[in-house]
Amino acid sequence: MSGASTAAASLFTRHVLLPLVLLTVALLGGLRVRPDQSFLFLAPPLVTLVMAALLMALFARGGLILLERWVSGRQTALANVSHALTLLALFFASAQAFNSVLPERGLLHWVFALFFLWTLWNDQFAPFDPYRLIRSLCVLFGTAFVLKHMLLASLYSPRVGWGRRLMGALLEGASLGTLDVAVFAPATGYVSFFTLALYVGALALVRPAPDEDGDVRRLLGEYRRLSTPERAALREALGEEGERPVRSRLTS
Amino acid sequence: MRTALVQGLGVLATLTYGGFIGWIYATQPRTLQEVATTAQVAAGVYEVDAARFQQGLELFRREQFRAARDEWSRADPAQHDPRTQFYVAYAYYREGWGRLHHDDALYRQGTLAVSRAIALSPQGAYVVDDPTLPMRTAAELEAELEKGVERTWSDLNPMRVLEPRK
Repeated sequence: MSGASTAAASLFTRHVLLPLVLLTVALLGGLRVRPDQSFLFLAPPLVTLVMAALLMALFARGGLILLERWVSGRQTALANVSHALTLLALFFASAQAFNSVLPERGLLHWVFALFFLWTLWNDQFAPFDPYRLIRSLCVLFGTAFVLKHMLLASLYSPRVGWGRRLMGALLEGASLGTLDVAVFAPATGYVSFFTLALYVGALALVRPAPDEDGDVRRLLGEYRRLSTPERAALREALGEEGERPVRSRLTS
Repeated sequence: MRTALVQGLGVLATLTYGGFIGWIYATQPRTLQEVATTAQVAAGVYEVDAARFQQGLELFRREQFRAARDEWSRADPAQHDPRTQFYVAYAYYREGWGRLHHDDALYRQGTLAVSRAIALSPQGAYVVDDPTLPMRTAAELEAELEKGVERTWSDLNPMRVLEPRK
């Protein structure tokens, strides 16, 4: 692919594709399919907005988003508006991604919410780089997805055998009826899986600085992990690499 | 120039799609069919299925009120046509009417339907041009339905059995 077409693709991805994918996550994150196959759209609860705010702070701290590069006086007003809308879409997509894996009501809603809040709060003080952050988020959402859409859904499904139904009844009894798990059609789990996959895919598209190639930050991160002698050796090798074309031109 | 074009396209697409999502969450459609119907209403291109409406009217005149309402619910799925909602209310009235006793549940549903007809009519007063109906205004029908569910001493009047169904 030529440099011009790569630049055009990058521009399209940043300003059109990325916000649309994030908004799709925001649309599907609250979608539930009832047992009678009708739709229910759940707006993000307040707690998911708090989680999304914490996650945005984590993105900024972890270097996934360099805010001063996304919205700055050096860019045109249109570019700033476009980037601000993308960040807003990222915020709502994050809130709805949490909404997608959070039980809708009852004790488990608050147990999951506390688990998310505790993890996000702890992460605020941990050293992160963008790629570790995405990996960590995959694990966080994956765990919640398995617990909600596989474990709980199978325990409370109306079509399961007596063993699992008994287990569900025991859990309800042990929790004094506070679990109160909402029952949805299996399609809800598929929608949630697709939503989370789309969300992680969108995060992979996000560049720390919108006008910069993602590999630069990755290489910089790798460089920072090297020891002092390794850094010196790398700088020397890069110096030789830079001089080679000059030497080859002189000798020819 | 091309950069500004892509940025402008992105802003426009994001705002449009964001508005659509907000609208979906506000209207809460239950099926894809409802999404399409609500979108037609919002765009101002919604139309009642005239053939189904006519079938409903024929059933209404043959006193098959439930079947008539069923047809009208398909003819006007968004409940957005004042004429259909007026007839739906009339069907509830006639089905609920009894010489000795009125069915309150049907009358209440009729009141809801006639309220929709009034709310949807431009001047807030709907009049139907149908010589076969004794009550041709939505206000008359609404008053009759409300009177039917009220508990008054006149309910005990034996002459009430002579009151005709309208």
